Amino acid sequence: MGFSFHRPDTIDAAISFAGVHGEDARFIAGGTDLIIQINRRRLAPRHLISLAGLGLDRISETSGEYVIGAMATHDAVVTYPGFQHELIALAEASAVIGGRQVRNIATVGGNIVNASPAADLVPVLLTLDAVVELRGPAGARSLPLDRFLVERGRTVRRPDEILTSVRFAKPPTASATAFLKAGRRKAMEISVICVAAHLVRGGKARIAVGAAASRTVRVRDAEALVERQGAGAFHEAGRLAAAEVTPIDDVRASARYRDLLVAALVERALASCAERIGKANP
Amino acid sequence: MSSYERRVAGKRLPRIDGIGKVTGKHVYAADFALPGMLFGKILRSSEAHARIRRLDVARALALPGVRTVLGAGDIPQIRFGTAIKDRTMFAQGEVRFRGEAIAAVAATSLEVAEAAVRAIEVEYEPLPAVFDPEEALLPGAPLVHAGWSDYQALPVFDREGNISGRSAIGDGDLEAGFAQSYRIYEHRFTTQHVHPGYTEPRAAVASWDGNGDVIVWSNTQLPFDMKNMLAEVLDLPASKVRVIVPGIGGGFGGKLRVGVEHYAAWLARKSRRPVKLITTSEEELTDAYPRQPTIVTLKTGVTRDGRLLARQGRVILDCGAFANSGPATAAIALQVLAGPYRTPHLAFEGIAVYTNKGATGSFRAPAGPMANFAVESQIDLIADDLGIDPLEFRLRNVYREGDKGPAGETLASVSIEECLRRAADSIGWSERKPLGKKGHSRGKGIACSWWLTTGGSSGVYVRINPDGTVTLVSGAVELGSGAITGAAQILAEELGVELAQINATDVDTHVSPYDYGAQGSRTAFSVGNACIAAARDLKRQIGALLAGQWNVPADSIRLEAGSVVSGEKRMSLADVAALSQRSGGGLISHGTAIQPMPVFDPNRVRHHPLPAWTSHSFHAHAVELSVDQVTGEVSIDRYVVAQDVGYAINPTYIEGQIEGGVAQGIGQTLSEEIVYDGGRVLNANLTDYKMPTMMDMPRVECILIEKPSVNGPYGAKGVGEPPCIQPPAAIANAVAAATGVRVQSLPITAEKIALRLAGKAGKDG
Amino acid sequence: MTRQALDLTINGESHQLAVEPHWSLLHVLRRELGMTGTKENCLEAECGVCTVLLDGKAVNACILLAEQCRGRSIVTIEGLGDPEHLHPLQSAFIEHGAVQCGYCIPAMILTAKSFLDERRGHVPSEAEVREALSGTLCRCTGYQKIVEAVIAAARQLNSWPEEARRAS
Repeated sequence: MGFSFHRPDTIDAAISFAGVHGEDARFIAGGTDLIIQINRRRLAPRHLISLAGLGLDRISETSGEYVIGAMATHDAVVTYPGFQHELIALAEASAVIGGRQVRNIATVGGNIVNASPAADLVPVLLTLDAVVELRGPAGARSLPLDRFLVERGRTVRRPDEILTSVRFAKPPTASATAFLKAGRRKAMEISVICVAAHLVRGGKARIAVGAAASRTVRVRDAEALVERQGAGAFHEAGRLAAAEVTPIDDVRASARYRDLLVAALVERALASCAERIGKANP
Repeated sequence: MSSYERRVAGKRLPRIDGIGKVTGKHVYAADFALPGMLFGKILRSSEAHARIRRLDVARALALPGVRTVLGAGDIPQIRFGTAIKDRTMFAQGEVRFRGEAIAAVAATSLEVAEAAVRAIEVEYEPLPAVFDPEEALLPGAPLVHAGWSDYQALPVFDREGNISGRSAIGDGDLEAGFAQSYRIYEHRFTTQHVHPGYTEPRAAVASWDGNGDVIVWSNTQLPFDMKNMLAEVLDLPASKVRVIVPGIGGGFGGKLRVGVEHYAAWLARKSRRPVKLITTSEEELTDAYPRQPTIVTLKTGVTRDGRLLARQGRVILDCGAFANSGPATAAIALQVLAGPYRTPHLAFEGIAVYTNKGATGSFRAPAGPMANFAVESQIDLIADDLGIDPLEFRLRNVYREGDKGPAGETLASVSIEECLRRAADSIGWSERKPLGKKGHSRGKGIACSWWLTTGGSSGVYVRINPDGTVTLVSGAVELGSGAITGAAQILAEELGVELAQINATDVDTHVSPYDYGAQGSRTAFSVGNACIAAARDLKRQIGALLAGQWNVPADSIRLEAGSVVSGEKRMSLADVAALSQRSGGGLISHGTAIQPMPVFDPNRVRHHPLPAWTSHSFHAHAVELSVDQVTGEVSIDRYVVAQDVGYAINPTYIEGQIEGGVAQGIGQTLSEEIVYDGGRVLNANLTDYKMPTMMDMPRVECILIEKPSVNGPYGAKGVGEPPCIQPPAAIANAVAAATGVRVQSLPITAEKIALRLAGKAGKDG
Repeated sequence: MTRQALDLTINGESHQLAVEPHWSLLHVLRRELGMTGTKENCLEAECGVCTVLLDGKAVNACILLAEQCRGRSIVTIEGLGDPEHLHPLQSAFIEHGAVQCGYCIPAMILTAKSFLDERRGHVPSEAEVREALSGTLCRCTGYQKIVEAVIAAARQLNSWPEEARRAS
């Protein structure tokens, strides 16, 4: 274990530094996962490039969309006023990532770039059709989060690209989101299954599932069914979702149980969305 | 006994070591450091059972900063162990579990030590291994210790091959009992490895002084045992080994035996520098002293009206690669199986079995949760089958005052009926399956048990100082339970001073009087009794000092409110202490205590190291919980404990013991398990070894019952271990009441419940 | 690796250090500065005993590089109260029997402080305290008396004038 630590003054300086060192360098956001990976000797970067102090930690809104800076902490998401109503699933997901002490350091960008299939915020962002913003030597590019994620631990980000923010459209009033997670304990859990849903009354349905495949996935058959048939199809949507995922057996749970959880949590998340829409729009 | 109002004992007073702990000034063994100290690290086996073909430390030794590398060839081959001397500091040519120590390094930093460990080269030749204790019992199974018969062992244990110990308790005529039975039930239960989970890792710093003595600062629960054990491994007279225990961050039985101390001592000896070792979470979950997994089979015959007639049982206990406390634990399980129920005909057998997995130990109430889970689950199964309320079934069968215990000992101070009734009343037992909220099933469960207050002697030195304070020097470690505060309350009571006037010292085996140690629910009980003895002796000394001077009979002299009083005469305790120092060396006393062994029938027990229990306690737990009908998630709504504590020396810390013990019990029941795949631990980290968080714990409602014991201070009984015994059974019974799903294997995960509810799993989930 | 100069403000005092880049804040506190009130155990942010306050917020010092703390303010248990002048949380923990072995207690107290500081004037419910403090494991107490102590301390702190509170 031995790396040097760099604090570039600008995003461009960070990018060019990363360009020089290639695979030897890693950006560090909150570092809550990265440092553990280094300590467990799964990663051995020679250079850490800090993304702190580059103005990437803001959460902001325009008339049409929200932008979450990559360095925004989960704590900031939990308390952000704009995420307490239609977008409550963002706060619900960020609120159950580690303990309070982790949420005060760990970042939204880190949660995305790690590409853990069990990342809690990622399914919510997928249901919001979120777009990630990347900056690299060639400039900025943006692409849908769904295309950004490849598989466990892999994204399409190049080593010298920084994920600067994630953004998504403001949802219509008659819409809701919900996030549900199952683990063995009621806190401090890495999800055995996590599910996010986003429903727009009379419109689109989005459902995403974590820890049920080699990456967080949208379950499109289930979404299509709900868009066609509405609330009466929630149970069947859960069943379809379970058929669409490919969970594994591991020390946390069996694939069989994960299938069961996907079906149950998808149905519940959808029902929760419908209930929330009903309550907020009587 | 507890009829008059006491000033200090029985009061909810703050602990005497609290301020240092809330300000961060209390120094724990993990915090301890010496100038010039090196850091030690252990190389561990990557194979479960193998011959070591080659061990090459040259690359490690060459690393800058490495001071010493030790392997089996560098130290004397000394076998040690609690029941059986079956373990060595480093594997001697053969490793017996994945994680066994092979070599150790001392270096100028932990990082260098870790790099050196990685630089050591080992070649293995795999040997046949056995991981399942039932397979280990089959003829022709690979032997974990081919040379078992040459090992020194306590003579009480019956050993053979992979059986490290076999004990039995029996009475009556089993066959006749079954023949008379209205129905006979047979069930099998399994329990898992769980870690004590102390938040402070095991840690030690060793340093050798100019006299050739070694000083070891350790967070051991048993400093005197540690001293003797280190003397053995270091091949030194015990007088050359000094063990000092600074603060200790929890033990729960997991810090009874040597962990890192012997490595620190040997590395320090060879490097001529102080050396510190501290365990990682990975080491804790692969080479520590977790609770043994068990397989318990029970066959029970009952009468038509629900009376236990004949009971046969067998506990197979997987002690891992080394016996440690396994044989004794398998034996203690038999008392847990027997009580607290009258049974005319019974035969129980406990077998401790070697496997190629990590060693195990005496986690809080060793054998308690495992055997109780089996008995108390089966009681509910039988009661339900007979159509008798489970509480009523228990009340028909529990011990009564004067009954004979499993070894034929006479039982006194029996309170199990009161415990059961109070717990049941509090939980609202008349409604066993209340309505759950939508999508949830709700149910209540009850379980009861009994436990011992472990014997062993205690000594204290008590000194009254010329400033009026009192120094209590005990050889027992304050683990955190508040036991030393409790003993100090008793001392303050006896000496007529306030608790705040008592100072307790850390344990130092060169200075402190002997104590059997902080284990077995005995500390407050035994040290408290020693304090009473010391106080009586001090009163005698004061009487002798003042009787002549005051010209009063010595027995007229009393201690009250910090003064010595006889009639009109009065002198402050401080002045008496000063007077004594001027005239005769000061007021100091050595108080001692030991519990008498009960009389028992030796024909009822075979190969049992602890045939009859001393100062037993009784307890009942009742729980109300909800189960998600789809995900199987369990939420505990209420948890009630009715525990007979004999006399509540400090109700606050007794509640603390109950609340904490229940938390550990809930962890064992619902979430914790060291998961082995063959010989490999799959979850050797605290991400996947899941101890309950604050969100997982309900409020625990404590009902303290005070039926005095004969031998405890003011009638007290041991309280520390029992609270973790009943949660598995109480929760299993409540889950069954709520859902109809009976889980007979721990942990009772949501997954097991859900798959059974969905009809997707076999009977045992 | 070469050491780098690093100024850290800990409990209001400035410390000029030379650190290796991979050192955690926990390493610096315990090994370099001998401030062992901050405890070590799992080193993976699972047990919580290493909790300190960074700019007033509770964080796990075990997985935070000292470098990440450059220019920020750190408070450890040593900075809270001393034996003669305990912070109300420290007193409440003692009075309510919330301390057993004590190894997790600095973390519990500091997490509780940041939580209460963020919600001045509010007496938290039991459920809120459990949620806020669930990032630290305690194996002794079953948590009950810790929860009671935090609520009691919140009550007391709310009765303080704002200035006294800010100084606490």
